[in-house]
Amino acid sequence: MLAVLLIIAIGAPWIAPYSPIATDLSHSLAPPSIAHLLGTDQYGRDVLSRLIWGTRISLEVAFWVVLVSLTLGTAIGAMAGYFGGWIDRTLTSFNEMMLAFPGFLLALALVAARGSTLDNVILAIAIAYTPRVAIVMRSIVLTVRPRQYVEAAHAIGASSLRILLRHVIPNSLPPVIVVATVSAATAILGEAGLSFLGLGVQPPAPTWGNVISDGQNYIQSNPWISLSAGIAIAISVIGFNLLGDGLRDTLDPQLKKQTAAKLL
Amino acid sequence: MARYIGGRLLMMAVTIVAILTVVFFLMRAIPGDPAAYILGNYATSDAITTLRHNLGLDRPLIVQYLLYMGAALHGNLGTSIISQQPALSVVMSNLLPSIELAVAGVAIAAAVGIPFGMLSAARHGTIVDLSVMLGALGGISFPVFWIGLVAILIFAHALRWFPSVGAGSAGDPASQLRHLALPALVLGLSVAAYIARLSRSAMLEVLGQDFIRTARSKGLSERAVMWRHALRNALVPVLSVIGVTIAWAFGNAILVEIVFSRPGLGSLILKAVSARDYPLVQAAVFVLAVAVVLINTTIDVLYGIIDPRIRQA
Repeated sequence: MLAVLLIIAIGAPWIAPYSPIATDLSHSLAPPSIAHLLGTDQYGRDVLSRLIWGTRISLEVAFWVVLVSLTLGTAIGAMAGYFGGWIDRTLTSFNEMMLAFPGFLLALALVAARGSTLDNVILAIAIAYTPRVAIVMRSIVLTVRPRQYVEAAHAIGASSLRILLRHVIPNSLPPVIVVATVSAATAILGEAGLSFLGLGVQPPAPTWGNVISDGQNYIQSNPWISLSAGIAIAISVIGFNLLGDGLRDTLDPQLKKQTAAKLL
Repeated sequence: MARYIGGRLLMMAVTIVAILTVVFFLMRAIPGDPAAYILGNYATSDAITTLRHNLGLDRPLIVQYLLYMGAALHGNLGTSIISQQPALSVVMSNLLPSIELAVAGVAIAAAVGIPFGMLSAARHGTIVDLSVMLGALGGISFPVFWIGLVAILIFAHALRWFPSVGAGSAGDPASQLRHLALPALVLGLSVAAYIARLSRSAMLEVLGQDFIRTARSKGLSERAVMWRHALRNALVPVLSVIGVTIAWAFGNAILVEIVFSRPGLGSLILKAVSARDYPLVQAAVFVLAVAVVLINTTIDVLYGIIDPRIRQA
């Protein structure tokens, strides 16, 4: 499922039948036909082409959010779990407090304060979801830290940084990758929500949230505009959730599913 | 018990101060100048400098922080740029409809999600389990605002069972309830999917424990094992699931409010964002985070009452 979306995202310029931003007011709100398989929106833009190009933006957001939240969350969680003491107490309290913020609202506030650019959208969603990765990472590091190979590394005089980078983090990563994969799904929903409110990537850029928003006023007369974009979002979110479940079973069968699920 | 409650309340106070700190620093963490953003693309550098001065952004960060915290602890979270009213009082006057929606949504979600999650766990590996989990996967995968649009299309426009927009006439509880029903159902069903998945996990964990095996080995009927042993013991973790979903429900409630054009924090935040009313957005985020902390603290205290082991821990 995700491989198909990836191919669509990469091949958008060749697959999309029309330009996603080319307007044609003489064909506005056209119903689905051979020429326009999913019809056109109020500006006469081809909905299918906008969805195809929207795949690219959604996957780009998902990729960067996962990368940023995985990097930051891994670093924060690993430090908290490995060093313990006041470092752990401070970082864990911070993470738990961040979880009190509705993630979507936090992202919305950050974008509202700093402007609706793609970079800000990615950074805002990543900041909102980093604590979830950090908390999972910390709990895994706590189980890895007392293992013999970590003690052995200590005994031969390896530095804390080396032990963290060479032993603790690599052995703690699988469950965290699972959480990060599922957060890609959340990132796609978050970006769509921000775009729907007009706070994501700005129109006329084709994002799935923008397409739903465009179709909102025509939901009775031309429901296919919003319906098709919602289905596109659901397919990608289901894809990432299934990938997360698959990775969980493959990478870490011992991980109690609900431990990660509670934090998603 | 009093000591346990006192401890939770103290922790809540510390968390609220910490939330203020986080709101302050996060708003300044992302690169960019809020003054330039508020004034738009055509602002002169003089206007930007003046606004930066008026917002106190030209002072050292630590001074800004101390001033902000001092004012916040006196209930002052700045002045709304749109209305020139204290931001906190504007937010508080719009809070009730959002709380109503979130509470109604979570109540529906718990009423639907917990029984389905438990049914799914009790029938683990069967077609019932698969169907419930597929339904739940669908529920968490469609954006809540899209579910809202589809619900309006079907239940308000096609079937005409519910009104599609607004919050009903003031002073007419029946009309207000009719206007609340569809948004609460939409929010409830999206959160129910999430609660069903988590309840299933909690119940499966209980079903895997020794006392369940003992109950079965004593020859108890499956019904007795489920109702008398598994369900009772799964209730505490399942209640905790509701706590976990509160923050999520508030985020979704904002989107649902906007789709259904209901008054509340959602429309306020959207208006504040369009007018670049930065203090108002900041106050709204703070108030919602505090609401989440208050609800979670209440749930923690309830656990302490339900399960003495928790307050002794």
